[in-house]
Amino acid sequence: MSEQNKPSQAVNEFNQVMKPVSLWADAWKRLRRNRMALVSLWIVLFYFAVCLFAPLLTKAGILLDSNEQIIQHASIRPSFKPAGELVIEKMEKRIATIEETLAERGEQVAPAATFSFDFGAAPGTESATESPPAVDGFALDFGGSGADTSSSDPLVRELKFQKEDLETMKREIASNPLHKRVYILGTDDLGRDMLARIIYGGRISLAIGVVGTLTAALVGIIYGALAGYIGGMLDNLMMRFVDIMFGLPYMLIVIIIMAMVGEAARGNFVVLFIAIALVSWLTIARVVRGQVISLKNAEFVEAARSMGANTSRILFRHLLPNTMGVIVVYATLLMPSFIMNESFLSYLGLGVSAPAASWGTLVSEGVRAMELQPWQLLAPAITMTIFLFCMNFLGDGVRDALDPQSKNRT
Amino acid sequence: MARYIIRRILGLIPTMLVIITVSFFMIRLAPGGPFAREREVPEAILQNLLKRYHMDEPLPTQYFRYLGDVLRWDFGPSYRYRDLTVNEIIDNALPVSVGLGVTALVLAVVSGISVGIISALKQNKWQDYTAESIAVIGISVPLFVVGPLLQLFFGMKLKILPIGQWITVHGLKAVILPAITLSFPYFAYIARLSRASILETLRSDYVRTARAKGLPERTVIWKHVLKGSLLPVVTYLGPAFSGIIVGSTVVETTFMVPGLGRPFVQAALNRDYTLIMAEVIVYSLILVVMNLVVDILYGFLDPRISYK
Repeated sequence: MSEQNKPSQAVNEFNQVMKPVSLWADAWKRLRRNRMALVSLWIVLFYFAVCLFAPLLTKAGILLDSNEQIIQHASIRPSFKPAGELVIEKMEKRIATIEETLAERGEQVAPAATFSFDFGAAPGTESATESPPAVDGFALDFGGSGADTSSSDPLVRELKFQKEDLETMKREIASNPLHKRVYILGTDDLGRDMLARIIYGGRISLAIGVVGTLTAALVGIIYGALAGYIGGMLDNLMMRFVDIMFGLPYMLIVIIIMAMVGEAARGNFVVLFIAIALVSWLTIARVVRGQVISLKNAEFVEAARSMGANTSRILFRHLLPNTMGVIVVYATLLMPSFIMNESFLSYLGLGVSAPAASWGTLVSEGVRAMELQPWQLLAPAITMTIFLFCMNFLGDGVRDALDPQSKNRT
Repeated sequence: MARYIIRRILGLIPTMLVIITVSFFMIRLAPGGPFAREREVPEAILQNLLKRYHMDEPLPTQYFRYLGDVLRWDFGPSYRYRDLTVNEIIDNALPVSVGLGVTALVLAVVSGISVGIISALKQNKWQDYTAESIAVIGISVPLFVVGPLLQLFFGMKLKILPIGQWITVHGLKAVILPAITLSFPYFAYIARLSRASILETLRSDYVRTARAKGLPERTVIWKHVLKGSLLPVVTYLGPAFSGIIVGSTVVETTFMVPGLGRPFVQAALNRDYTLIMAEVIVYSLILVVMNLVVDILYGFLDPRISYK
């Protein structure tokens, strides 16, 4: 410790030049020793990098467009195989199920003549003569070829369509480059690539996290610093206000705000930022106020004041830099809560609106499909959880690094 | 003590007044009334509607009329559900939400403290690390991920618990999954909190004294350590309950529980003013009362705090 107080060219007892260590360098050293926090830091940086460069990745052809819908590729399970094979696999499975059901039914009811007729006719004559040539990827056609089928049984009709589609797919698979795509996280029920949707959703979620944190920190710092520095009646009044705000069920207020602004404005993220940031600055304001109060009578502040520094200089040059440590700690812990709150609103249908989709939107869409296509829930849920997990670990690590005395506290 | 409690109860009045006032004017100033729908309502009918709901009066008159109604626990008719008053909606939903919330809170406290004790006593052993990991996961995983995952696993794969609806349909089994989901983050936080607090208490002088005078370890833990280390947990109960109330909107939506949460979200989407107001008032009331109970409880647990 004592070395730090000497002039910058300090020399220790072995005649080595000592470099003074700043708070940040010191904290970084400590953070680097915390393996979990470091891993978390890298993962968080990776998330940010991928989300930041997502449009470039799309342009380079590595990542698919998150809004491109290919109906044929709807609800494909996650796999490294090309989409065409998976679609064929799915169709064959479906055909097998239908045939099985029909066969069972055929045994229960007396085997009807129309059934056997349909069985024979569907794959042979119909698809050979009637099936339309593949029109850029859309194979589901409900009119045309089905109209002249005599059977009224929807299963029989579906079987016919499925078989036709299967034929088309098999013909197309080699020629159509669309079917060579690989969806490692599967697709949603409109045939959009889940990976691309998650990454583009991450852009929105992270943006809200970052901008919200910055806004909340800014408001909290200014409010807290003013209240703490001026003190007296004003401080009392300002903090009473914070107390009342704390007593409010604040997520409910955000819900009301989001309901108030209506569907049209909800697409605009600014409203969402403001709504969440409006109620998130309270903790930072309290913490900064406490720090400022404890520091404002310190010797270095008195020295500055005696040299004629004005209020704003003392606040911004002397007091606030000394509270940065605490602010950074709270900001890192604030960000996951922002992302969580935004997803919470999106989950309730009060957050970002389509076509934009945050992680919360993806999860809520996934919940609707979870019984048959669990990956649509699991992929965004796990992505989001990993990020929040790392942010929380990083936040804890940063706190321990900046304030070693807090070690082993919660 | 009695005077303190009375003063605190009186102190609730301004808080509630602020909440009612702020939400009243916020909602009234919002663009788009409850009768603004896709289909235009003829002018004469609109006038009649406004009259029926007293919305043609000047704002201050409306405000004081509303205050008077609220004092009589009368929230007026719902703007959306023609055949229901807001009171009917609230009165049916309130017991469900409070029941679920309290169950979740009790679950969180009991399991959180137990895990906290275990990991504090087995510090830096595998039990501790497991508990710590579960706790961080609990804090990081959003409720709306936990809920559906539990539904998927216990409801759809194992088929041992119902995935939706309430006691009237499934009996008490219906409470298990929603309560676990709702309590999960608070369980995690309480576990961390009590672990840290117990570790600190274990090092304190009076625990050393208790051990030195030869008390059996069990007595030391249960009578001395636990009592001293539970204060932070009690302090956390206030924020925890407010979080549980907010979380219940998601959990009730996910598990189709007929509580306050779903009507609240629906009312917010529909701009059903009277229902939103009533929900905010009821939620805030639960919250403030809960905070009061926690403060009083605190006084009983910590003899160092004196009330003036």
